[in-house]
Amino acid sequence: MNAHASALAIACLLLAAPAAAAAEATGAAPDLVQRECSTCHGLHGISTAPTFPNLAAQPAAYLEAQLKAFRDHSRADPHAQAFMWGMAAQLTDAKIKEIAEYFSKQPPAPGTSADPAEVAAGRQIFENGIDAQGVPACMACHGDKAQGNEVFPRLAGQHRGYIEKQLEAFASNLRENEIMHQNATKLTARQISDVAAFLSSM
Amino acid sequence: MDSILSWRAAKAVAVALATLAAALAASSPASATPGFARQTGLACEACHTVFPELTPFGRLFKLNGYVFSNVKQLQDINEKDQSTLAMNEIAPIGLQLQASFTSIGHSVPDNGTGVNDLAQKNSVEFPQALSLFYTGKISDNLGAFLQVTWNPTSNSIGIDNSDLRFADHASVPAIGASDFIYGVTLNNNPTSQDVWNSSPAWTYPYILSNIMVSRIASALIDGQLAQSSAGLGGYVWAYNHLYLEFSGYHSAVTGFSNHYTSGPELDSTYSGTRIDGLAPYWRAAWEQDWSRNSLMFGTYGMQANTHTQGIGFQGPTNSFTDVAIDSQYQYIGDNNILSAYATWIHEDRTFNAVTTSNPSNTLNTVRVTGSYFYDRKIGGSLQYFSTTGSSDALLYGAGTVTGSANGSPDTQGIIAELDYLPWLNTKLGVQYTAYTKFNGASTNYDGSGRNASDNNTLYVFVWTAF
Ligand code: HEC
Ligand code: HEC
Repeated sequence: MNAHASALAIACLLLAAPAAAAAEATGAAPDLVQRECSTCHGLHGISTAPTFPNLAAQPAAYLEAQLKAFRDHSRADPHAQAFMWGMAAQLTDAKIKEIAEYFSKQPPAPGTSADPAEVAAGRQIFENGIDAQGVPACMACHGDKAQGNEVFPRLAGQHRGYIEKQLEAFASNLRENEIMHQNATKLTARQISDVAAFLSSM
Repeated sequence: MDSILSWRAAKAVAVALATLAAALAASSPASATPGFARQTGLACEACHTVFPELTPFGRLFKLNGYVFSNVKQLQDINEKDQSTLAMNEIAPIGLQLQASFTSIGHSVPDNGTGVNDLAQKNSVEFPQALSLFYTGKISDNLGAFLQVTWNPTSNSIGIDNSDLRFADHASVPAIGASDFIYGVTLNNNPTSQDVWNSSPAWTYPYILSNIMVSRIASALIDGQLAQSSAGLGGYVWAYNHLYLEFSGYHSAVTGFSNHYTSGPELDSTYSGTRIDGLAPYWRAAWEQDWSRNSLMFGTYGMQANTHTQGIGFQGPTNSFTDVAIDSQYQYIGDNNILSAYATWIHEDRTFNAVTTSNPSNTLNTVRVTGSYFYDRKIGGSLQYFSTTGSSDALLYGAGTVTGSANGSPDTQGIIAELDYLPWLNTKLGVQYTAYTKFNGASTNYDGSGRNASDNNTLYVFVWTAF
């Protein structure tokens, strides 16, 4: 039997149908987002695993700044190095702008529920800070609904595990940022966990 | 618009043709690949929990045809602004080295004297295998996982697990599939194209001693066609959950030639398993991911008629129908990684090309594995394995060490392994295989006084890829 011909026929059949339907990027997502970024961050910037931050509704200016920081290696915490240094290496300024625009316009992630006691304690920190420890209200910079603004990132609806990890990285200076270093070093592990619970539930 | 579509379709067909041609022109399990890391700029942990097990991202990387690339590209376009070349400036190449020490419970008889205990019980192999990889992008939608291995035991260089893929994205809004991946794979081992670690080609144990005593029966899909078949198939990954694949495998005996060229002859003297015509292979799987968890349920299988002797496709064949189910669970925490896989393969085997006692036989294979790693540095795995089936004194004949005295293929036991990874790309391991039953019995299974536990194997290895 002519097996090769039939194998080829199968291949062509399988290929022809979807290729015809591949209506060449009808969605608004830039090609690169669809092909690469989406596999970790989700097509609309909402990811499954807490290792990968949600990018949806994140201010474009913040996204741009982070992508440039990955590209020039100034954001150097372990996961930044393992995952994002490579991903950002070949991005041009124009591409970065386009991607940032796209994610900033996606609807935000809905919060995930957390323990009410933790959420209440976290809300307290977020809205009022902790005077005794010299921690300012997070709200002052991140917005009253943690929606972010310009270079201040959105925190509402972000994965709890990711927020905790970033606060720890700011505290240890693995992720270098003077403002957040000051804030994070003053928080106890318990308080980090509470504020992350609150933010992820928003 | 139209011209772009037909250009794409034409490219896809051309690629299918080229890959087919390449395979018609073309041995041991493989691993994680440094070439991918070089191409993507991602650390191993992006794609692997602990190599070679894949993370959800690693699975998508493979389904996307190994093409994500974050290095400088050599590019070219034609007058219509269509890409005609998009190649990594630096080739995604890597090397892999395996070295090991094996100690068998009770040495096998010395061939020369027939006296027990004279043959070597302990063996050091440095290297056990040395491989060269090309793993990564060839052009925008085309990628490859190619492995060539030098095996010092047979002092031969051979093509190892290899996979050439074309993949692209598409959408069919009518069935709610807004973005799905479709692809074509050309590979040389059924299930090696699979992205989960519960199907045979890429499951635990990822590395085994090559001087263990081998059992009398394994299902066809369970490695029996590795590197001696070529399969071409199409797959889709849709709704971020569903995988469907259909492939056809053809015999592809490598390293043979004919009487008028050099090399061993592929003629009536050849006695390997060859597929008659085309053997269909299918795979369906559903994956559900939530938070740090990933769970898959699936089924796969194959139907093949094989020749055991000579050339051509005349004469009686043996027939194998393999139907399998499998499942995989992963928890990927920052520090703790847990995985579990299980598979059950049912095989109906009918032998017309060799003489057997029963008109047809069955063979059931079960493997259940659990593994845990801390910080991707230290961990271990434990597997229960079992192959059981109908007894057939002619099919599973008597013979010292490798035979069965009672005609039963039943082999059962566990494989335990402890691993230490000083770096993400280097694994040091101690593995112990213990049999409760071998070729049908626990004691005197071969009728010459050998016990199942005499085949217990201690295996110590170094496995690194760079
Ligand atoms: C292999 C998985 C993976 C892929 C693919 C990936 N990322 Fe990321 N990304 C990550 C991880 C992990 C982090 C968190 C890094 C950290 O913890 O510092 C991250 C962080 C980010 C951040 C910072 C978010 C924040 O809140 O600070 C941005 C922006 C980003 N990625 C954009 C992208 C873009 C754009 C792409 C596609 C070009 C992309 N990523 C592809 C894994 C990935
Ligand atoms: C004075 C302004 C300011 C205050 C107050 C502040 N932040 Fe921030 N925060 C920032 C800036 C600026 C960044 C972005 C840092 C960078 O670019 O790397 C940031 C980043 C973060 C991030 C990382 C987000 C991401 O997507 O990677 C987290 C988490 C965070 N802040 C939490 C907090 C919490 C919790 C508080 C209150 C305890 C707080 N911040 C108070 C300015 C502030």
